Amino acid sequence: MTLIELQEVSKLYGFGDATTLALDEAMLSVEKGEFLAVMGPSGSGKSTLMNIIGLLDRPTHGIYLLDGRHVARLRTNQRAKMRRDRIGFVFQAYNLLPRLNVLENVALPLAYKGMTPVRRQKRASDLLELVGMRDREYFMPRQLSGGQAQRAAIARALINKPSIIIADEPTGNLDSTDSKVVMELFSDIHRRGNTILLVTHNPELTRYASRVIYMYDGMIVGDEKTAIGDMAKGARRIYYQKRKVTDDEIAGGVSAYLRDVPGKELASRSKRPGKRRRKKTPTRRRTVRRKVKI
Amino acid sequence: MLGIVIGVSSVVTIVSLGEGLKQQIVGQINQLGSDIITVRSGKLVSRNGSSSINNINVLAFLSTSTLTEKDVQAIGKLPSAAKVVPMSFVTSTAKGSRTTLDNLYVVGTSPDLADVLHQKVAYGAFFTEGEADQDFAVIGARVAEELFGELNPAGQSLSIMGKSFVVSGVLERSSGGLLSVAETDFNSAIFISQALARKLTGAHPNILQILVKSQDPNNLDVTANDVRSALLATHQGQENFTVLKQYELLDIASGVVNIVTAFITGIAAISLLVGGIGIMDIMLVSVSERMREIGIRKAVGATSRQILSQFLVEGLALSVGGGLIGVLVAMLINLGLRLYTNFDPVVTAPLVILAVGVSVGVGIIFSVAPALKAARKDPIDALRHE
Repeated sequence: MTLIELQEVSKLYGFGDATTLALDEAMLSVEKGEFLAVMGPSGSGKSTLMNIIGLLDRPTHGIYLLDGRHVARLRTNQRAKMRRDRIGFVFQAYNLLPRLNVLENVALPLAYKGMTPVRRQKRASDLLELVGMRDREYFMPRQLSGGQAQRAAIARALINKPSIIIADEPTGNLDSTDSKVVMELFSDIHRRGNTILLVTHNPELTRYASRVIYMYDGMIVGDEKTAIGDMAKGARRIYYQKRKVTDDEIAGGVSAYLRDVPGKELASRSKRPGKRRRKKTPTRRRTVRRKVKI
Repeated sequence: MLGIVIGVSSVVTIVSLGEGLKQQIVGQINQLGSDIITVRSGKLVSRNGSSSINNINVLAFLSTSTLTEKDVQAIGKLPSAAKVVPMSFVTSTAKGSRTTLDNLYVVGTSPDLADVLHQKVAYGAFFTEGEADQDFAVIGARVAEELFGELNPAGQSLSIMGKSFVVSGVLERSSGGLLSVAETDFNSAIFISQALARKLTGAHPNILQILVKSQDPNNLDVTANDVRSALLATHQGQENFTVLKQYELLDIASGVVNIVTAFITGIAAISLLVGGIGIMDIMLVSVSERMREIGIRKAVGATSRQILSQFLVEGLALSVGGGLIGVLVAMLINLGLRLYTNFDPVVTAPLVILAVGVSVGVGIIFSVAPALKAARKDPIDALRHE
């Protein structure tokens, strides 16, 4: 059963001379129950892809079907409810609310669902038991170690029994021990039948995945099914390989990108600053420049 | 929040002060009795036609008195006037056996005063007309206490403007507190006869007002008209005096208090507005500071409306809290005023409800913009916010 289907999904930032292509006609379909690892260098569009799949961001072009439904047709409110009920996020920076304690943080999505405090605290307590954080219920986030904070964040992601868990470099801030604990947790969740999308830089972590996709410059350049427990074959190779730009693409230049882009739509989009991380690698960024008619 | 506290507390304090003042004045005027007509110097009010008052001339309060002894005599001849009592303000200083008081009302008047004002004498007796051998004075309860240190100093002597007086009686303690438009505070008053007042000042004493008791309480209007005609005759047809009936006195007093109260309340209301803007400022800062929190909340499934209501509730909590603290502060100020001054502020339930209600309104109105800003933010933009 196809859970996520992306058809030629693109994401552009900025407009005019400074248009940046963060996602370039990505095609992807994810089956229910897959553990998908997404690899690629910084600025290759992994996070953008996750944000679009997680309904945090909207694609500039293309079709996104979640559970067979056209997401573009959903209103902001419906997207929020979708995020609440169907999708669990785990971020690299944990993103726990500093002013709430661990239990309240975990119970937060239930509050937005309108559950009574007693019931949601009980449920949050159960989830914390699951991630081995029961004894830290009343700690504040700043009192937790990175691994503990990330486990609390995973409990929060799981609390609404979502069908998709999106984890954007969840082990990025963790040492190897904590990484292992967190990854085992994900593995456990996967065995229970959840679909997991994991962004990572670490080839070792592809051992937990059932499928690995590789991204470069906003494009999905590789797709590999792997057995759980084995490291993906392409993980090291493609990660460090530089993609060659074809002569056709250079010749096509601006018009190749902008042919399908109605100017009106571009102009109406609010200015978005390019992602910070992308700016660190200016040589890899493809900047579309429009020739100005005089 | 501080802005709201200051705004609400000042509004409540000022309005309750005004309300208290009004009630005190009303109480004092009612003490006079309903059959009394008061004649005052200057044309204090403009009348709309013949009856109702439509304007108050504040300047007239400041002028020298235009009332003279001749007026008193003229009114005294009227058949409809039962009793005529002039009141002239002589001085404010008197020396007793122990000390000197500077905040008194030394008033020249006639023996009928006690009867007209329903003011009872607690000890001794009111002076009578024509006691030539000795100069008598009747004193208020506070004067007795502070000038002589005893409840009944009858027979002792005090000195006014270098002239010695014998205390003939002490008035009963009255409940009134302040010098109002119509009335003096009897507790702080020394009454001497009009003749002695004339002797002291060496000229015509400045007659503050003339109280006229009507022959027939049900025909107050007739008496008032008679008095007016009589005075017009002595004033060469120029109406530079005012004949006021009991209820009109009330109108004037509360009118003046209302004007002052409204003015100061206006200023206080501006501070409330400033407080509201302060709340908006705090909320805007809070929204930008908590952009990341908003992003996280949206990522875990908060709808725009839920974010909106969160920030509205926070703004509301700030303003309601500020409003309640403001009322509390006002109560404390009022308590202080009651303890250390003669003012008796009255905090009414509608006033508290209004003040808190306004602060709640201000809070909501000024929270809307920041809350909308928070709610409309795209989740991804909010999450990326540093």
